[in-house]
Amino acid sequence: MFMITPENKTTNDVLKFFLKLLLLLVMIKAIDMAIGSVLRHFYFRQSSGLEYRTTYSMEKTTADLIVLGSSRANHHYPPDVFEKKLNLSFYNAGRDGEHIFYHYAVLKSMLKRYTPKVVLLDFNNAELIQGKEKYDRISSLLPYYKTHEEIRTLIELKSPYEKLKLFSSIYPFNSDLFTIAIGNTEANKNRDPDFKGYVPLSRKWKEAIQQNNGAGNTAIDTVQVNIYKAFINDCLSRKIKLYVICSPYFIQFTNVDSSLIIAKNIAAQNHVPFLDYSGDTSFTKHPELFDDPSHLNADGAKIFANKLADEINKSEK
Amino acid sequence: MLFDSFQFLFFFLAVTTLYFVLPFRVRWFLLLISSCYFYMAFVPIYILILIFTIIIDYFAGIFIEGASGAKRKFFLICSLVANIGVLSFFKYYNFLSQNLNFLFHSFGLTTSVPYLQILLPIGLSFHTFQAMSYTIEVYRGHEAAEKNFGIYSLYVMFYPQLVAGPIERPQNLLHQFRTKYPFDYDRIADGLKMILWGFFKKIVIADRLAIYVNATYNHPQEHTGLTLTLATFFFAFQIYCDFSGYSDIAIGSAKVMGFKLMTNFNRPYFAKNISEFWKRWHISLSTWFRDYLYISLGGNRVAVPRWYFNLFIVFLISGLWHGANWTYVLWGAINGFYLVFAIITHQLRSKLDKLTGLNKNPKLHKAFNIIITFLLSCFAWIFFRANNIDDAFLIIKKVFTFKGPLFIQNPSMVIYSFTGIFILLFVDMKKEYYKGSFSFFNHQNWWVRNLSYATLVIIILLMGVFDGGQFIYFQF
Repeated sequence: MFMITPENKTTNDVLKFFLKLLLLLVMIKAIDMAIGSVLRHFYFRQSSGLEYRTTYSMEKTTADLIVLGSSRANHHYPPDVFEKKLNLSFYNAGRDGEHIFYHYAVLKSMLKRYTPKVVLLDFNNAELIQGKEKYDRISSLLPYYKTHEEIRTLIELKSPYEKLKLFSSIYPFNSDLFTIAIGNTEANKNRDPDFKGYVPLSRKWKEAIQQNNGAGNTAIDTVQVNIYKAFINDCLSRKIKLYVICSPYFIQFTNVDSSLIIAKNIAAQNHVPFLDYSGDTSFTKHPELFDDPSHLNADGAKIFANKLADEINKSEK
Repeated sequence: MLFDSFQFLFFFLAVTTLYFVLPFRVRWFLLLISSCYFYMAFVPIYILILIFTIIIDYFAGIFIEGASGAKRKFFLICSLVANIGVLSFFKYYNFLSQNLNFLFHSFGLTTSVPYLQILLPIGLSFHTFQAMSYTIEVYRGHEAAEKNFGIYSLYVMFYPQLVAGPIERPQNLLHQFRTKYPFDYDRIADGLKMILWGFFKKIVIADRLAIYVNATYNHPQEHTGLTLTLATFFFAFQIYCDFSGYSDIAIGSAKVMGFKLMTNFNRPYFAKNISEFWKRWHISLSTWFRDYLYISLGGNRVAVPRWYFNLFIVFLISGLWHGANWTYVLWGAINGFYLVFAIITHQLRSKLDKLTGLNKNPKLHKAFNIIITFLLSCFAWIFFRANNIDDAFLIIKKVFTFKGPLFIQNPSMVIYSFTGIFILLFVDMKKEYYKGSFSFFNHQNWWVRNLSYATLVIIILLMGVFDGGQFIYFQF
């Protein structure tokens, strides 16, 4: 290092630079650890909201029947119908904006603690299609990286540098400061209430049915396909009764989605029932059962849940 | 390779370390190889285009220097045609074909110009303009032709400013590759501070504001006037922080190794009029157009109507330089119009200032002018950001009705946005008006100084946008 130049000033500058840089890095790391610890403490102290429900799903629930999936899972599966018709305890672990990475991570954490009897996986149209945003959404699992070893490989799929970023104690809670603050104050009472994880929607859709020809990116992501397969295998190896369900849309799909075909084939190969309600006319002719084209409202969710519970009961017999 | 990536961080550390470890005589070679690698991290094959123009301009420089009279001009024209030709083909061919086809169709003609599947090489407009400044300066006799092909290539390809400027001049940059820069603590610390501030502007402010701006500007028909007004205000800061943040990282990276690149932004939103705005905004491009186009057209040493024409045409071309879309052309035209209008109404505005008594209160007058200039630039930004002309006019129509509820999908998103803007304005205002007063970032006490920078890093970790994941829910 001292060969850089023979002049003393340069040597002094090099030493001074590295010494001060080291001091600065130590200072940053100390502040990072302090703030990160405070954020971690308050993150896990939340008693409502999406983040609380993720923590509850991964660390506390012992329900017999678990619903996994995105917002469509979260808003389409009310607990009372399933509890009554299937006589099973229930928790809806669906979370808005999530994809197969999240569903599998939550399942893995649950399986580490206990084995549910039934799992309903809500499968979205284009679920297995490539998309950077799907990997970006893994960020919702970052707070669990430190304490949930079983999901680390899934989180590391987010980017090649994720391990490095997670050297910071603040990073897992990036952009989460105000959400954590709300979750720890009186303001959390203003949040939409959930019923065993289920959050009902209330609007009534009034517009005509949308057409979707499936144009755009249709390339299948093999990583997501493999995770879907692993999800099925884990359920089967633990003798969990798994149902993969495509719940209703108020969208007319003019071309069959390639990821739906793949998912159905994989499910069939593993003798897992795949129940497709995406074109069910008892919903597609009733905009009043929807909150928006992709989400049923509470009335629609109740009808759908009854229909699905009957179907499950029938298949059990 | 993007500046705000881990890939760049490792690249920068490796290149800088090697730069100081290697003997001086091979440093330029290290920088050239590194710059090639940096450029090829985008689309490798496009380096051939760069090599093509480098070869042309290298020989053009030597030939221009060795020739006289018409021959000298001939070699300059050859160089300019090659550079503008490459730029036109890659950047404007499809724009031209699209518009010609529209015209043919309008006149009922069946002829059509084919559309080509070509990808715009990264930073083409920047390095083409930098290359052109070299041959023009050699032609004007302001700069000697560079005989070392490697050094000339490095002038065009120097990685910190290769893809987004500042657009350098040979007088400033070329000789620096022959200067030996030792490891200097203060200079390196300054460079790293600039890089950190650039990252803050890009990751905390620009990328955060982009979430709101993209969600609204990509679907203007679904949003209210109030929402689009806020989005336009956000875009003004997004574009400033995005571009000046990139420039800060570029200038800082070069400074760490000893190179002094030109200032590209000088707190433009504190400008008191549009003319001053353009002296503070993207300075390397504004001065390029001034030195090589505006003055060549006669500048202001011509008849008044011609002077107006010169101003207008320069801004029109500047708009087109930014992108092959009518929105950019209109953005340039609006700025040209602002300047011409300001000159025409200069006396009238002075009278109005006297009439209203504004001139008696210099602080109020200054604040008023700054706000008006900011609002005018915001209006022009609508065209710059809108996806097409129709969207731009729809946004303007809605903005002027200023009605409807404000779209706030996630309140914390807006809080982060305003927090970032507040920090930026605080720092910029401090630099602009209170230079000599207390400073956290340049405090004499090492602990205060470094605690300030540590805080900046912590804010980046807390509030920075590290992925596009947060875009999704805004689109619903």
